[in-house]
Amino acid sequence: MPLEIVRPGTRIDFIGRWRLWVGISLAVIAISLAAIPLRGIRLGIDFAGGTEMLLRFEAGVATDEARVRAVLEGCGVAEPSVIRYGEEVAEYLVRFGTLGDPAVVTRAVESGACPVAAADRAALDAALAGSGSKDAMGSVVDRVTFAFRNAIGPLVVERVEFVGPKVGDDLRRGGLLAIAIACALILVYIGFRFSPRFAPGAVIALVHDVAITAGVFVILGLEFDLRVLAAVLAVLGYSLNDTIIVYDRVRENMALRTKHDLAELLNLSVNQTLSRTLLTSVTTLMAVLALLVLGGEVVRPFAIAMLIGIVVGTYSSIYIAAPTLLWLETRYAQRRGKGGSGEAGRSAHPSPPSAGRGRRARA
Amino acid sequence: MSRFRLRAGTTAAVVALLGWLTVANFFPVEARRASPFLPDAGLRLGLDLQGGIHWVLGVQLDAATAHELDYVASGIRNAAEEGEFAVGEVVARDGHVVVSLPGPDDAAKVEEWAGNRGGLEVLASSPSQLELGLTAAWAKQVRERGMSQVLEVLRRRIDDPVTGIPESVVTRQGEDRILVEIPGGQIERSRAREMLRVTGFLEFKIVQDEDKTEELLLARHGGAVPAGMEVAFEREKQTNRVLAAFLVADKADVTGDFLTDARTQFDRMNRPTVGFTFNPDGGKIFGKLTEDNLHRRLAIVLDDRVYSAPTINSQITMRGEITGRFSVEEANDLAVVLRAGSLPVPVSIEEERLVGPTLGADSIARGFQASILALGLTLLFAVAYYRLSGVYASVALIANLLMLLGLMSLFEATLTMPGIAGIVLTVGMAIDANVIIFERIRDELREGKSPRAAIQTGFNRAFWTILDANLTTLITALVLYEFGTGPIKGFAVTLAIGLFTSVAAALIVTRLLYEYYPGSRPVESLSI
Repeated sequence: MPLEIVRPGTRIDFIGRWRLWVGISLAVIAISLAAIPLRGIRLGIDFAGGTEMLLRFEAGVATDEARVRAVLEGCGVAEPSVIRYGEEVAEYLVRFGTLGDPAVVTRAVESGACPVAAADRAALDAALAGSGSKDAMGSVVDRVTFAFRNAIGPLVVERVEFVGPKVGDDLRRGGLLAIAIACALILVYIGFRFSPRFAPGAVIALVHDVAITAGVFVILGLEFDLRVLAAVLAVLGYSLNDTIIVYDRVRENMALRTKHDLAELLNLSVNQTLSRTLLTSVTTLMAVLALLVLGGEVVRPFAIAMLIGIVVGTYSSIYIAAPTLLWLETRYAQRRGKGGSGEAGRSAHPSPPSAGRGRRARA
Repeated sequence: MSRFRLRAGTTAAVVALLGWLTVANFFPVEARRASPFLPDAGLRLGLDLQGGIHWVLGVQLDAATAHELDYVASGIRNAAEEGEFAVGEVVARDGHVVVSLPGPDDAAKVEEWAGNRGGLEVLASSPSQLELGLTAAWAKQVRERGMSQVLEVLRRRIDDPVTGIPESVVTRQGEDRILVEIPGGQIERSRAREMLRVTGFLEFKIVQDEDKTEELLLARHGGAVPAGMEVAFEREKQTNRVLAAFLVADKADVTGDFLTDARTQFDRMNRPTVGFTFNPDGGKIFGKLTEDNLHRRLAIVLDDRVYSAPTINSQITMRGEITGRFSVEEANDLAVVLRAGSLPVPVSIEEERLVGPTLGADSIARGFQASILALGLTLLFAVAYYRLSGVYASVALIANLLMLLGLMSLFEATLTMPGIAGIVLTVGMAIDANVIIFERIRDELREGKSPRAAIQTGFNRAFWTILDANLTTLITALVLYEFGTGPIKGFAVTLAIGLFTSVAAALIVTRLLYEYYPGSRPVESLSI
């Protein structure tokens, strides 16, 4: 006997209670939206602009988060976030947003509140003199690095991420555009490969996945950055796989049984493909869990977004894509005045939506 | 059977070849170059893995437009001096040139002059005043020219044979940005930044007057800077203290634009200096300047800072020298900047990502561990759930990884941390195609088909599903590539190549294994 997570002939009524599931999804999206004013959307420096530095003080340098923060505040950096990173080594992750007026740091250096050594100060001024960007955000990193070295001790700057406000705006706009373009292209592809009436269900499921993934990030107070965006786009492509598996079976069944209750047919198709829908997600989830556990800080936001996205994507293929198809087909049948009893989910399906291509057998 | 052998042989050869390219990456670059058996082509490591600096520089192109308007304004003044027409004040500001006019006749003449010059349009006209602006087409061209000049100057600085930074990349990004990527460990961040960002505008100006401080200097000139003049300072390098204040003309007599060469040399005290050579035009102007001003002092001003102000003892035409208490490194950098030419418009750092080499090595180790874990879990699952067919899927998965990394090595693709995440993800997604095929075969078996027929139908029916599923993911990978920068592009590349290889592995490798066993044998059951 082969291992089977779903027994053949399983008949779970997924479609009959579609209102409940759609309601749950809408509720989660509503909670996410409601959470935005409460918790705010946390944008990473990729999108909001700002500076992130990973500092490693050399062995034997005595310091703590408070001292690192004190140096930053002395330099006029407003609301810096300082997190101790390493256990054995003195690593600190320092972040701060775009300063309204980066010249405050220059002034803090001149007034002595920002403890940059005199020699470093002169070297900096000399270096920045010709470049016309003496007070720009980009030079803040240099000034605070010198201040740390002078006030706390020798250090190595392991990582710097500085994103200016203009670049942040562009990346944010580009990110939203990328998601919109991906959705549009998928809509066209599904419309072309299946039938125009199949496409909205797939795209509504995608929008649903993106909305819930983003919603969970808002609710948990996680940060959006480029890595999360990459994960969301990967989820867009990936969660569609499950939807396509279901749709393919729906089309095949439509071609096989021309007179069929559509709700029942959808239910049958979802049940028949349930094992592969779940299995494909499980294998991918294993890979994502490996990334989450071993991948380290750099890929963590990516792995979290993928994890949420894959779970939500699998759910939406079953509970969102199929009901949308049902709803649209019912509306379509009603408009054509054919056989529709008027009640969603109980209308006889007139004919396969794409009779020509639909007859080709598919998995 | 012979056709089977041919197909199996071809597939094995392709996988082996790409596997060989994959394995070669584990050998150091020098060993690969030296060995005749190892390919030179291999994966490149992204800046986030090998460490390095990624900068996006914003080019302030408004400055290029402002320069052009200044140029137009001086053209009008010159034409007026030559008697073409009479004008009052000519001011360039806020994106247009305002010309004050004594009468309407002159307005028409200036308009005609502007028409002949081209690229200008009249924004507003009245008998006493004319406002000129750049036409949209010309303004665009001015900005484009500014962009290409900046790109060229930065490239020359980076690629300089003596002190350049090898393997660095300077590329244009969008309308007004430049991406600079410097692989790790070659140059200190602050030094690299100055080499790129410093304007490098060299001017030679005759000193009209000088003193210890600005106050003392201006006291002799009625307390204010005389018209057409400005004060430039020589400062002590360590403390920035003013050493001397010079009164010089606000317009330079000769600029660094006339230089053909600059290099580090040593003076009699063996101190580094920067020697320069003029082109013939520059030599003529410089010769006349030094001849007319014998025994006066000449200020050598770089980016508004006086480096030295030697006394002119004799006429100088082609060669000169800048002294100024340099270290050898500083002299080298200055020579590079002078050779490459000055930046026509200022640039500023708008995005910076710097990764230290230890952090990069740590990322590689973590990515490798995650890949191994993902692979182990997936293989375990496949064999436990599908038994012999699971073993087939495992072989296909390993073939897939070899092909993916082999193709990336062949194309010398850049591997980034998100790219490694993409590979791990590919491991999870590649098995999906096999799952779809196996589940379909199980369906067919349940309907009572023979193992052979079930395999046949299973593959045929799963084909389109797999194709649709992977093409839609490919769409998002392409969008990601278009939109993403640096590391994210790396993710898109691995994802896209991984989709191709995983489809190929599932459809070709798994199928061949089924043809090998059970093949045409009349088996009773299938281990699936």
